[in-house]
Amino acid sequence: MSTYVYGIAADSHPSLPDGMGGVGDPARPVRVVKEAGLAAIVSDAPEGLRPKRKELLAHQNVLAEAGAGGALLPMRFGSVALDDAAVTGVLGERAEHYKERLDALAGKVEYNVKASHNEEAALHGVMAQNSEIRALAEANRQAGGGSYEQRLRLGEMVASALKAREAEDAVDLQHTLEPAADAVSVGPESTGWLANLSFLVERESAEVFLTAVEQVRKGHPHLDVRVNGPLPPYSFVEPGPSEPAETGAIQAGPAAAAETGH
Amino acid sequence: MTVVPAQQQTGGGGGSSGLYDVLELILDRGLVIDAFVRVSLVGIEILKIDVRVVVASVDTYLRFAEACNRLDLEAGPRKSPGLPDVVGQITESGARGKSKGALSGAAETVSDAFKQAREEGQTESRPRARKTTARKKEEQE
Repeated sequence: MSTYVYGIAADSHPSLPDGMGGVGDPARPVRVVKEAGLAAIVSDAPEGLRPKRKELLAHQNVLAEAGAGGALLPMRFGSVALDDAAVTGVLGERAEHYKERLDALAGKVEYNVKASHNEEAALHGVMAQNSEIRALAEANRQAGGGSYEQRLRLGEMVASALKAREAEDAVDLQHTLEPAADAVSVGPESTGWLANLSFLVERESAEVFLTAVEQVRKGHPHLDVRVNGPLPPYSFVEPGPSEPAETGAIQAGPAAAAETGH
Repeated sequence: MTVVPAQQQTGGGGGSSGLYDVLELILDRGLVIDAFVRVSLVGIEILKIDVRVVVASVDTYLRFAEACNRLDLEAGPRKSPGLPDVVGQITESGARGKSKGALSGAAETVSDAFKQAREEGQTESRPRARKTTARKKEEQE
């Protein structure tokens, strides 16, 4: 039976979620595997585990529970060891490194901030600032909407102005929130947001950070700012920027574990 | 087409409502141990959309152009998201008597728009017709 790994904590962690329901259907009970002063939070790995909503939430909930009680190194979703012995093997081998990371992250949590433009408000801003766009829009309107080319030209200008505004707002957001956090990690771009930033924040001073977020909201009414946290420090488990998973590793099946396992 | 995410509640922690917003953290961040394998994540490469492609599309340009045409009398950075269509049509028909840009008097124009809405009883026929001709033109080209 292979072993699903949720995260790594110190074995002195006061409230590991032993017995809590984990991934799988029925939910596999969470266990704790200890070695070298460390505790891995694990459960049996269900056959054919897929990244479904329910499983992602199970992973996240186990980590949220464990993270509420003490420092934790969250694993990326879907990490499976050959068996418990493979887990203790890794803990023993890299104990010093993991302990150093746990010390560095003690008392700290991650807040993820995503911001997007409220489109109507951002359009207003762009038109207010750019007289050329304003003139073109007015000309189009008087011409009953304008020709296809005229509308394309206006739209292209607006798109480019909005994009510039997004970049400005992203920088502004980061600069405003950075002082209230210990570290920042820039997340991947996507179409759903103009900024995707994770901040490492002292649990004790989370209020300071959240107040700074409120100030950003007030100062930038054209921004939709979404905050998620406190979260396990997903983006800060390793020093330096975390890299996306390699495609090769994602594709690997359980058979590969047998070959590479220690 | 622009992909618009569902409105998420702000604040709060790991509740299921926020899963969309923390998805890439769970899937793409966190500790990786090379002695372990990962389950296949095939089929959920939702974050790999190229932003530039989405923004720089003809559809997007036309949508922005239309939004600008509607925008003149709309005002206030925090309009209710449910309103733009209705208000857009009303202000469009109202714009004829008031061709000057309205960006200077934001608060005033909002109340104007609502007043017109009440007085005109939301006549939709003319703006609709205009939209249709615009679309026809587009198809011809």
